[in-house]
Amino acid sequence: MLKVENLHVSVEGKPILKGLTLAVNSGEFHVIMGPNGSGKSTLALTIAGHPKYSVEGGRILFDDEDITALGPHERARRGIMLAFQHPPEVEGVRIIEFLQQVLVETKGVDPVEAYDMIIKKAEELWFKEEDLHRHLNVGFSGGERKRLEILQALLIEPKLLILDEPDSGVDVDSLSVISRKIEELHQRGTAVLLITHYGRILGHLDREKLRAHVMKDGRIVKTGSGELVDRIENEGFGRIFEEVEG
Amino acid sequence: MTETITLSDAKVIIENQIEELARRNREPEWMTRIRYKALEAFEKAPLNDLVISEEELLHFIAKPEIEGIPENIESLDDLPPEMKALLDRLGINEVEQKYIAGLAVQTDTGVIYNEFLKEWEKKGLMVLPTEEAVRKYPDIVKQHFLKLFRADENKLTAYHTAVWNGGIFLYVKEGLKVPFPLHLFFLIQESALAQAPHIIMIAEKNTEFHLIEGCTAPILVKHSLHLDMTEAYLHDGAKVQLTVLQNWPEYVHTRPMTRAKIGKGARFINTTVGLGTGRSNIANPKYWVDENGYVELNGIILGQKDWFVDLGGEMYLQGERAAGINASKAVIMDESTVITRGVIRAEAPKTKGHISCDALLMSDRAVMETYPGLVSKVDDAELSHEAAIGKIRDEELFYLMSRGLDEEKATQLIVKGFLEPMLRDIPMEFLVEIRKIIELAVSGGM
Ligand SMILES: Nc1ncnc2c1ncn2[C@@H]1O[C@H](COP(=O)(O)OP(=O)(O)OP(=O)(O)O)[C@@H](O)[C@H]1O
Ligand SMILES: [Mg+2]
Repeated sequence: MLKVENLHVSVEGKPILKGLTLAVNSGEFHVIMGPNGSGKSTLALTIAGHPKYSVEGGRILFDDEDITALGPHERARRGIMLAFQHPPEVEGVRIIEFLQQVLVETKGVDPVEAYDMIIKKAEELWFKEEDLHRHLNVGFSGGERKRLEILQALLIEPKLLILDEPDSGVDVDSLSVISRKIEELHQRGTAVLLITHYGRILGHLDREKLRAHVMKDGRIVKTGSGELVDRIENEGFGRIFEEVEG
Repeated sequence: MTETITLSDAKVIIENQIEELARRNREPEWMTRIRYKALEAFEKAPLNDLVISEEELLHFIAKPEIEGIPENIESLDDLPPEMKALLDRLGINEVEQKYIAGLAVQTDTGVIYNEFLKEWEKKGLMVLPTEEAVRKYPDIVKQHFLKLFRADENKLTAYHTAVWNGGIFLYVKEGLKVPFPLHLFFLIQESALAQAPHIIMIAEKNTEFHLIEGCTAPILVKHSLHLDMTEAYLHDGAKVQLTVLQNWPEYVHTRPMTRAKIGKGARFINTTVGLGTGRSNIANPKYWVDENGYVELNGIILGQKDWFVDLGGEMYLQGERAAGINASKAVIMDESTVITRGVIRAEAPKTKGHISCDALLMSDRAVMETYPGLVSKVDDAELSHEAAIGKIRDEELFYLMSRGLDEEKATQLIVKGFLEPMLRDIPMEFLVEIRKIIELAVSGGM
């Protein structure tokens, strides 16, 4: 479904991704780990079409179509969704109105129906109706923002969900809700590309069925099963990097 | 501009206009004398306009009408379909529609009321064309006509006073509280009638009402300089809201002149929504606020194309604990220029004033300037101001787009969200239209 081929990306003239290749097939669950600054968010934002990340080489295919030059909304409409590591505040735009418009425009849902859908799903993520009348992420805590990203994923039900550290800054109870909802979406058929530093978010997912990638300095340097996640958590990146370089 | 018009040419033209108006309106002599005095003042008064030169002004006077503008509107059936649809929705033909109760439409021949207003007239709510009020209630009009302005302040006040015509006279009897907004539309086309309406609002003690002037449909005028004057008198304890919706065509220069006297414990909320501001729109309303009185000037400005908007606002806090707020929100597109310059003068103890100016710049060629003025003559006034001029951030646009909205839709959401807090007092029927106009403006400006 998603094919990233030899991707080179720079931000403001500075090369960050340096020949990254990755394939995610439908229904798969991939995990990306890597030290701070290794380019994980850059990869996520580039796939989502952030205009600041310029593709200097390589390409991105989605369902066999080259989407490298498409705008973010066109990628979204083809079924890609990114849950942000740092969801920005959007002053003045109410969550409920925004989500309603998204559902109406991208899924052709009737506005009244959309409203009910949103309220119902929101409850599952502990949002009350009045929370949804607040402006997008404005004044939301880090953990609340992460839950709001998951709410959007549940409503949009993308084909490919890219999650950029959905577990960072999140309390234990929220973490388990978020983890369950990701699993739920995955079971309903969403392919997942999850960026994280910790294995805990993976909950009870069968490690054998996961694909894990390790990034270093703009490239994927190692790929394996979910066991890799636990290994990194126990040992850190040092040993793995020594192995691949050695 | 081909032929040159001299000041004395203009004087002759104005004189003829005065005679014509006096005759047509069967005007009492005292009013015609006011006009002639203003004509005298016109000659010597300064012009002080940032956009219009004296030569241009004389030209407007000689030739007020623009060519190539739609034919005269004789009846409501001749209106453009969108405006007619709006009126239909608002109930001009369907007086049974109770939720939009008070509606008056001023046309070339008079004011059309709906049944509801006629009912309220008996309780002490009077709405009539100003020239009719001059004939019917000379004493009240004499006490309130041109009491907050002087004809000789500048050429525009003088010209207005000399040729004013149309406009309404609104009088609300002591203690009367009108529970529904009053809507007033101007559907006048003939330039001599439409160009300089004079509006007088008198809110007697402890009255309450909300007047909505104008509508969201484009204003149909043939002239290119519009000079309306509003004088509002709020007696003690009156609570008045005046919402002015403007959607001027781009060939009009508008110079709305508004002044209000706000009595003890009275509240005046004056909101102007400039959907189409015209070629240039310069306004500097003034408010005098007595003890415990409160005034709020809210300006919503959509600057488009190469339009020029200069919104001032001077508040004189003259009584103890008087308070004033001057708040504007401007969305500035294309090559338009928007200037805001509110001034609050604290002249009595314990007064409070606040000026805020928020602008969203939508293009690199758009210009925003803000000059807040705070003047205190006492030592215990609280005066403050804040200004924020910003652009839509890439991060927020990308975030919205990453959920499937195109750039236009995402921008519209942000712009509507930016203006929303200012639209809180506007009835739903208008909000829908206003949002649509904002959306159109934003997509046109991209
Ligand atoms: N907009 C930007 N301007 C300048 N440098 C940037 C920008 N975005 C990313 N970078 C740089 O690119 C590198 C990779 O950043 P990225 O955010 O992709 O890392 P990451 O792997 O997601 O890290 P973390 O685990 O801390 O989230 C970093 O050195 C970062 O400073
Ligand atoms: Mg990151």
